[in-house]
Amino acid sequence: MIAPRPYALLAEITYRCPLHCPYCSNPTQARNDQELTTNEWTRVIREAAALGVLQIGFSGGEPLARPDLPDLVRAAREAKLYTNLITSAIGLDDDRLRALRDAGLDSVQLSFQSDNADLADEIAGARAHQRKLDAAAKIRAAGIPLSLNFVIHRRNIDRLLQMIELAESLQAERVELANVQFYGWAFLNRAALLPTREQVVRAREIATAAKARLAGKIDIFYVLPDYYENRPKPCLSGWGQRYITVNPIGEVLPCPTASSAIPDLRFENVRERALDWIWRESESFNRFRGTEWMPEPCQSCPQREIDFGGCRCQAALLTGNAANTDPVCELSPNRARVDEVLRDLNSSTPKAFGADWTYRMNPKNAATLQQVT
Amino acid sequence: MQTPTIAGSAQPKLTRGVRLQTDSKTGNSVLLFPEGVLELNETAQEILTRCDGRTVSEIIQALADEYNVDLEMLAADVRQTLADLQRRKLIELT
Repeated sequence: MIAPRPYALLAEITYRCPLHCPYCSNPTQARNDQELTTNEWTRVIREAAALGVLQIGFSGGEPLARPDLPDLVRAAREAKLYTNLITSAIGLDDDRLRALRDAGLDSVQLSFQSDNADLADEIAGARAHQRKLDAAAKIRAAGIPLSLNFVIHRRNIDRLLQMIELAESLQAERVELANVQFYGWAFLNRAALLPTREQVVRAREIATAAKARLAGKIDIFYVLPDYYENRPKPCLSGWGQRYITVNPIGEVLPCPTASSAIPDLRFENVRERALDWIWRESESFNRFRGTEWMPEPCQSCPQREIDFGGCRCQAALLTGNAANTDPVCELSPNRARVDEVLRDLNSSTPKAFGADWTYRMNPKNAATLQQVT
Repeated sequence: MQTPTIAGSAQPKLTRGVRLQTDSKTGNSVLLFPEGVLELNETAQEILTRCDGRTVSEIIQALADEYNVDLEMLAADVRQTLADLQRRKLIELT
């Protein structure tokens, strides 16, 4: 199969993070024992640019946990990539921000847990909210374009309007209101995170109204909660079509959640293979590329090149087989598994409604984070 | 299609955070911005490489001098392209 040209690289440079958000999409059993070195990342960045990649997102974990982040940003700019930092901003002091700006950082996507400090800190499992507010002001003052990202779930979805107002007051150019997707820690905590149908309907109205009100001022992206949809999301614009993820230990993934969701797929490592070979030739990138792998009802579906059969990780997590149709699809023989989860929640008593979650923990073997003041 | 009303004296410039560069894979121009990549058609490419402080009228005149095309059609084409880019917040008109 002829491989298309990739456009974006997600560089997950560490799994270490000072926050403990229970919806984190990182693997619950992450290995972080041998993070790629600065030189190894620099080589990966150059190889990605040679393949055609034009954008890089530095993510994690918390990418600021790595002292060499400005060096990696500089390497990416030298390779002509558009550089985006996806961050909690914990650890972003004046010196680091200056170093990042001087390295050529193009834009920052800052995560918030809520507009309300107490709730935000409870969700993050850390006192982080005020530091994020301070960081947002500094990023604006440094003249770097700012996007805000809110992960939406049952505990914060009723404050959607206030969260949008926070984005306005921080003068963000763009805000992403992303309903939680159930992978990694979020899958483990699904019973505590999934919003009710009533909440989802209300939130959609608020997002639609805000989009119209703020048109031309702030771009609002509302990511739908896919369990409540009838058709699956067009995950990754197709497997192995546009995106490459490299995780902290150098594994190359078609999707950031694939390593934990699809255990029977073997992922190549940049320490052993060239990125070009992995993208074009590897089993992991070719397994679900194109449409030949598709089962029915996808194979004969007119939507098959629109939604690509949905999400492979979701199929694996909910049906035990990554090659199945995403069970969110109403045509999937496994849709009942999604409906069952929704029915359990929407017909339940307030007790289940207040279900506890498990906070994300750092990988056991990860070095302790640098203390940031 | 109706030509959008954009003043001839307006100065188009890239929005902060938007970068214009050559795609080494294709040799064509692309716009890079936080959400993604826009591959430019020839018209957009010709216009954007001239957004260096010049006004809309000056850009139209420069293109007319370079290419032997109908001035009225060219002007409509330029305004349409600028309006599209402005709607996507990729350029600002000052």
